[in-house]
Amino acid sequence: MLDTAPKSSDAVIELSSVELALGSGAARVHILKHVSLAVEAGESVALVGPSGSGKSTLLMTMAGLERVDRGRVSVAGTDLAALDEDGLARFRGRNVGIIFQSFHLIPNMTALENVAVPLELAGERDAFARAAEELGLVGLGHRMEHYPSALSGGEQQRVAIARALVARPAILFADEPTGNLDERTGREIADLLFATCAERGTTLVLVTHDNALAGRCDRMIRIHSGVIDKGPAEADYDDAARSLAR
Amino acid sequence: MTSETAAAAAPALPRAQLALPLPLRFALRELRGGLRGFVVFLACIALGVAAIAAVGSVSRAMTDGLARQGQAILGGDIAFTLVQRQTTPEERAFLEGHGPVSEIAAIRGMARLPDGSDQTLVEIKAVDGAYPLYGALKAADGVDAAAALDAGRALADPELFSRLDLKPGDSIRVGGTELTLAGMIADEPDKLATGLGFGPRLLISRQALETTGIVQPGSLVQYSYRLRLAPGTSDADVASLTETANATFPQAGWQIRSRDDASPGLKRNISQFAQYLTLVGLAALIVGGVGVANAVGAFMEMKRPVIATLRSLGAPGRLVTQLYLIQILLIALIGVVIGLAIGAMVPLLALQFLADVLPVGAETGFYPTALGYAALYGLMTALTFALVPLGRARDIAPTALFRDAAAFGATRPRLAFLALAILSAAALAGLAILLAYDRRIALYFVVGVAGAFLLLRLVAWLVTALARRAPRARSTEWRLAIGNIHRPGALTGSVVLSLGLGLTVLVTIALIDGNLHRQLTQSLPERAPSFFFLDVQNSEAPAFLAFLNEAVPDSTVESVPMLRGRIIALNQTPAAQVTPAPDVAWALKGDRGITFSAEPPKNSRIVEGQWWAADYAGPPLVSMEAGVARGLGVGPGDTVTVNVLGREITATIANLREVAWESLAINFVMVFSPSTFAGAPYSMLATLSYPGGADPAREAALMRDTGKEFPAVTAIRVREALERISTILDQLMLAIRVASSIALAASVLVLAGALAAGHRQRLYDAVILKTLGATRRQLLLAFGLEYGLLGLATAVFAVIAGSLAAWGVVSGVMNQPFTVFPVTAVAAALIAVALTIGLGLAGTWRLLGQKAAPVLRNL
Repeated sequence: MLDTAPKSSDAVIELSSVELALGSGAARVHILKHVSLAVEAGESVALVGPSGSGKSTLLMTMAGLERVDRGRVSVAGTDLAALDEDGLARFRGRNVGIIFQSFHLIPNMTALENVAVPLELAGERDAFARAAEELGLVGLGHRMEHYPSALSGGEQQRVAIARALVARPAILFADEPTGNLDERTGREIADLLFATCAERGTTLVLVTHDNALAGRCDRMIRIHSGVIDKGPAEADYDDAARSLAR
Repeated sequence: MTSETAAAAAPALPRAQLALPLPLRFALRELRGGLRGFVVFLACIALGVAAIAAVGSVSRAMTDGLARQGQAILGGDIAFTLVQRQTTPEERAFLEGHGPVSEIAAIRGMARLPDGSDQTLVEIKAVDGAYPLYGALKAADGVDAAAALDAGRALADPELFSRLDLKPGDSIRVGGTELTLAGMIADEPDKLATGLGFGPRLLISRQALETTGIVQPGSLVQYSYRLRLAPGTSDADVASLTETANATFPQAGWQIRSRDDASPGLKRNISQFAQYLTLVGLAALIVGGVGVANAVGAFMEMKRPVIATLRSLGAPGRLVTQLYLIQILLIALIGVVIGLAIGAMVPLLALQFLADVLPVGAETGFYPTALGYAALYGLMTALTFALVPLGRARDIAPTALFRDAAAFGATRPRLAFLALAILSAAALAGLAILLAYDRRIALYFVVGVAGAFLLLRLVAWLVTALARRAPRARSTEWRLAIGNIHRPGALTGSVVLSLGLGLTVLVTIALIDGNLHRQLTQSLPERAPSFFFLDVQNSEAPAFLAFLNEAVPDSTVESVPMLRGRIIALNQTPAAQVTPAPDVAWALKGDRGITFSAEPPKNSRIVEGQWWAADYAGPPLVSMEAGVARGLGVGPGDTVTVNVLGREITATIANLREVAWESLAINFVMVFSPSTFAGAPYSMLATLSYPGGADPAREAALMRDTGKEFPAVTAIRVREALERISTILDQLMLAIRVASSIALAASVLVLAGALAAGHRQRLYDAVILKTLGATRRQLLLAFGLEYGLLGLATAVFAVIAGSLAAWGVVSGVMNQPFTVFPVTAVAAALIAVALTIGLGLAGTWRLLGQKAAPVLRNL
């Protein structure tokens, strides 16, 4: 369960020997170093590690937001290297949902419109009906016509979750999804996230500093200086267990 | 809440939206945030579009007025004009065969007080009983205009009454008769057709003209025969009548004008002037374009997270571009609509004010074509300047959402967008040139604007480079100021570009204005003769010259014979079939003064061919002004056929002369060999110059004495004529100044916008510096110095570039000597420095008073 080796059988995400450096000249930093991993369909995985370790970049790589210098990234059966920028955008629209720490709702769109965007981009005719349904599922059926500025942080993240899930993606990526929320609201959001993913069989990959949140995942991958730590991360699990017990 | 009720409750509005294409749907949603940040954008586009729409609408109102009132302006459906002769009985019979004819005679003359104490030049128009065929002649104060014109009475422009201090009922002497002024002319429908002259109009009957005796053989009298054709006669019928008349009387030498082109000269002048104003308006729009680019750049910067979010949700780059392009165009459209609304209303007001100045009854109306062009200019300017900042949006990566704003970094616009922007700019330039009356000038304008843009970028770069390399100043304030000029995110580029363009336009216009005025009020009066005397009969010429020598013993008097003639053919090709260069087209229109001489005239130089021998008596030869000859495509050896006094004379061009016209000395486009007009009646044209210049009192005295001794001689005071031209110029320059101040207003708007955009950074700087111990005085001084230095650098450029542009126009286009006015330069510099410091500190002042803590918490 804690193994990070690729499991090609049911893997929905597969990275092999991925290298990535960002910046240029003297400022160029080697961020991902020979990273290989696999995530199975329906699995939930936490990427943990200190700031600057490369976990967010790894998440972006898997979501098709960042191109790798070397190695192979295959997500939902698609080799991402073969897609151009717009191809990647379409791929994301179809297969991937993303949740951000800062929610990133579009300020001039209502909650309903924010959620409908992925469906509209995909050309779905029933975009608004489905978006309304999704908002109802995250408990915001009564806030549909509100603009983000009129919503609390927790509500904004619920809208973001609804937006990420409305197109029924196979995979959900979350970057510190509870990072900007208080503890109680964070727990509610996490409950919602895990419950929905479990119900729909959605693969969940999240980046977090919160051990409690990481501990709720099926598996934890620890990154340090762009390299995946080999071996079980018992210490983390002990921490996670302790915080859960609290 | 269940998902079903939620779904049912939600989408009333969104469903309607679904009918719209996706980019438009998203764009409309984005625009809900309002137009904050677009005030300068909107104002710039609205201002430029309003200026162009207003100029277009006013000029269309005037030219439409000309077209609609063609019959009244011309005085008939068709008019035949002859110089120095009346129609022959055959010609008269031909004209009368087509409808009622009205004959009028126009001649310049002197109106004197009966006691001879004062006199003035008048433009005499003698009308018959049929006048006017169209429109109505109206006199002021209820005087019956038609009844007022008999053998002993006249009507006159109010100007004549004020010049000679007369009132209705008083008398004047014209030639050898006394006329009672029955009243003032309130409306003379065909005023334009008889031309705008040097003096006020004196309207008399044909019998009255006979009694004055001023029409002598060789007098410069013009006879015009207007016809009223049967109602319903089409323009084509009028045109075919022109052809028939020319075919029936090929030797007549008359000039024929029809109602659809009643005043081609005025129409041309309006179009030409409208073009200059349109170009100045376009300059304002282009200056505003900088504001558009700044606003769009700032907008795209603000929208980066939204763009990145959309990209992360699967939006392709094309959609992002479309989405923002639509928003920018929608905002531009709002600006255009505001501008059009203002521009469409201006004619209503302008024509009210201009009613007294305009020689034509312009009718206000709605001019969709003029507004359409203005809208097109506005949208294309917005597009041109928005494309580059817009091009940066496409490449905003969603990864930005995972990093700090600082990590966004500067993205280069895609080459395709740069190319599109250049293409759009070229299309804008092409439109300006295509729609221009004089494409050559429009081309100069386009090249000038493009050059100014590049130069201003260069200036900004140079200022930045100089600031970077400047030695470390000892004073903290100077160090801060100079540092602010060159550091990343400095205001240098936007200040120099926004203020530079507007200020350059202002300096150019001010210098052209100054030079023209100097010419008219100083240079010309110094060089030009004081008097022109017209209609000096050949027989009385010796007596007249003797009189002048006696009256002003130390004066320089020159005299030449003068006739009027029309060019009717070049190398046997009828003038109508010759295509002249646009700048000499006037030479083929209407009649010109011509002369003959045994010697080459003064103030001219033979540049091609030979002057004839003093005793030459062979077939007619002619000397032509070189520029006109080249424009007409003729040279020595070619032939010119002129109609003089009803006779056709074909002369061979013997030589070409270059003439120094600006001296205002006597000179003619065509000078014939002496034997050409042997036996023909002619009058003399004489000039008189006072040595060392004249004073008005001496001029008035000479004018009075001339009137007494030689009542038929017309004396034109050059000073008065120049004053008249100067007044007209003042009116034209006022319009140009208004248009150019719109360019400066756009500049100030853009500058204010650019400075406001820098305020966030300023606030940050001010707070950090205050935290570190800087006083408000130090900060104010540092910011003031920075703005002052930028304003000064811009002013230096604007003065140099504006002077060069004005020099090009004055000496290149107008062929006048150019003078730089240092006061204008200093004033421009002061304006620039005051504006930048004023606008810059206006924003910064408030920031300086802010407490540091709250700002620091929010940074």
